[in-house]
Amino acid sequence: MPALDGLRVIDQTQVMAGPSCAMLLGDMGADVIKVEPPDGEASRKQGYQLAPDVSAAFVAINRNKRGMTLDLKQPEGVAVLKKLAATADVLVENYRPGVAQRLGVDYETLKAVNPRLIYCSISGFGQTGPYAARGGYDLIAQGMSGIMSATGHPGGPPVKVGIPIADLGAGLFATFGILCALRARRTTGRGQLVDTSLFEAGLALSVWEAAEYWFTERTPQPMGSAHRMNAPYQAFRTSDGYVTVGAANEKLWPMFCELIGRKDLPDDERFRTNALRVKNRAELQDQIERATMHQPRAHWLERCERAGIPAGPIYSVPEALDDPHARARGMVQELEHPVAGRVKVLGNPVKMSASPPVMRKAAPELGADTDAVLGELGYDAAAIAALRAKGVV
Amino acid sequence: MKPLEGLRVIDLTQAMAAPFCTMNLADMGAEVIKVEPPGTGEMTRVPGPAQKNGHAATFLAVNRDKKSLTVDLKRAEGIEIVRRLAKVSDVFVQNYRPGVAERLGVGWSDLRAVNPRLVYCAVSGFGGTGPYAPRGGYDLIAQGMSGIMSVTGEPGSEPAKSGLPISDLSAGLFAAYGVLCALEHRDRTGEGQLVDTSLLEAAMALTVWESAEYWVTGEAPKALGSAHRLAAPYQALRASDGWFTVGANTDKLYQGFCRAIERPDLASDLRFAARGGRLEHRAALIEEIERTTAKEPRAHWLARIDAAGVPCGPINTYPEALADPHALARDMVVDLVHPGAGPIKALGIPVKLSETPGAVDRPAPLVGEHTTELLRTLGYSDDEQRVLRDAGVV
Repeated sequence: MPALDGLRVIDQTQVMAGPSCAMLLGDMGADVIKVEPPDGEASRKQGYQLAPDVSAAFVAINRNKRGMTLDLKQPEGVAVLKKLAATADVLVENYRPGVAQRLGVDYETLKAVNPRLIYCSISGFGQTGPYAARGGYDLIAQGMSGIMSATGHPGGPPVKVGIPIADLGAGLFATFGILCALRARRTTGRGQLVDTSLFEAGLALSVWEAAEYWFTERTPQPMGSAHRMNAPYQAFRTSDGYVTVGAANEKLWPMFCELIGRKDLPDDERFRTNALRVKNRAELQDQIERATMHQPRAHWLERCERAGIPAGPIYSVPEALDDPHARARGMVQELEHPVAGRVKVLGNPVKMSASPPVMRKAAPELGADTDAVLGELGYDAAAIAALRAKGVV
Repeated sequence: MKPLEGLRVIDLTQAMAAPFCTMNLADMGAEVIKVEPPGTGEMTRVPGPAQKNGHAATFLAVNRDKKSLTVDLKRAEGIEIVRRLAKVSDVFVQNYRPGVAERLGVGWSDLRAVNPRLVYCAVSGFGGTGPYAPRGGYDLIAQGMSGIMSVTGEPGSEPAKSGLPISDLSAGLFAAYGVLCALEHRDRTGEGQLVDTSLLEAAMALTVWESAEYWVTGEAPKALGSAHRLAAPYQALRASDGWFTVGANTDKLYQGFCRAIERPDLASDLRFAARGGRLEHRAALIEEIERTTAKEPRAHWLARIDAAGVPCGPINTYPEALADPHALARDMVVDLVHPGAGPIKALGIPVKLSETPGAVDRPAPLVGEHTTELLRTLGYSDDEQRVLRDAGVV
């Protein structure tokens, strides 16, 4: 039985941060009910379409969920949501702060219905503080948290992390907060508000960068592929492309020098300690690449692996997904979507021996489980028909 | 009360990924016991470029709110201490290369025999199974092999990784998620289990949009600088004194943005009227927009665009981000006093719980700061402790 079997989660979220949080709970067996407006959440229509209202983006992040429609702008819709909240353990939303209040589905309202409910809000900047009311996207959060200032190449135009790390980080911190609140509920018997944001997630991931600034008073700069505190630890040029190598510690550094035929480097005054290698990184890279330039990637990767020095290729996304180790670890899964057919999704990165994550179903079609969920809440066929006639569901 | 109060966690971790996992558990109230080699302690304590009075930033940054117990794991008496501790703990986290913990006698099967309720979490470069399991893996290697580096940076530029070690950090977060889920299972069934994750898998799990794009188009997603794969304008824009970001990814926000920069012609331009068109003609669109935005400073544009309700923001340096009034209002910077390093700052907790909030209370421990206290808890008498100390086991 999966770890979160029996947990009911209302997923009232859009696009990425909120949906990723609810998906992680669904992977662990929670009954996640995605509540969408009657015309579907925004990301169903965005980007590549696999079928009408089935975008690749929606399929990627809404697996293991049931789906129902609900018009929260009608009082009957809010009434249904309250009934649902009375049966739920967790609700996740990622509206701009204030929207849930306006709809009448905010924490205070639903807490009155179900004091055990854990209500998680994910927003651009959090529910309090001077920027609370602002809209925030991953890009905005990457810029404001400092991440962009430390990514890319010195002197180049601004670059963000290629994946939406503020969105995904917020989703992970939200999941963590919800699971912590569930443990607290065992003791207190009460739910609570869990409040996080893209901006705060971006800051919380800036562990090395904040430490560098606070401890050295230097402003962290973009470093291409290199590390702020360790060297050599970056991509190096070979005769047919780049490889990554991490050989900064005092054990691996001389081994790496020997491997590239540069036994002289460990004795070089400029490179004697890690701190010196960080300081003289440009010269270090130059010296190393003088050796690595002469052979192809495969040559160096094979030698590093034999010597036990961490190294790897720089894969494209197709190469990464096709890698035999990624496959062996179940990182690519296939699910049957009722309209789009077989769809691929990423696997859950956490493997558990007794209650492993499950892949039960592809992202739901719009309103696929509306009748089933209403039935569970006690609505009979006539009541459901009435709601449908009014456009509530 | 903090939410994880009463939970005891053994932390046999080094460097970043797994220490970040247990730090998050400690912030939320778990008693996290960092087990370190006697004398020098964990390797990241060795002061590098960033340190205060000989205390390394690398260690202080991810080990706050923890206790320190020194134990020599190469000695049988040392292993006995860890096993006794495992008997009275809920969670065990390690990030050795696969095989090392087993060789030391603190593998999952060893500790499970001592405490079947124990949740045992292993974080490694590639996971405990599969062809690359024995390889060493760092954040850099995982960023390269997950495809993240291939989509980061300017098109055609030299390789760039995420400036932050996101494979490490997300592996730590996924591990914390796995541990808490395993505790739910344990509380229901009484059964502990092995939770096994890795830097490579964590990094791959973050390539949600990129893998989806590849599976639909059959083409490798490219690096796009600061831009979005599926929306425009959503990127850094040039002002007269630097850059700022704008995310106008819907028709409504795009119209509002054009009004805010007083370019109604762009709103009515047929090339840019629909979302798909703006994406297709991104280069032309950005050129037109920057023709206007490059004339005035960042502050000018941010005030106007924000007033129009369009998401936008500065590209802060870390000194700016960490002094930002909103960051401070959300308690993202915490002041601590370390006995050796003196006053230091730490990052706050990004997820706020209304009834049982976490808190950053204590700086990282000194080497072996809690050894005596913990040995006493485990029932070692003063005499026994002296013997262990004299023999260099603790």
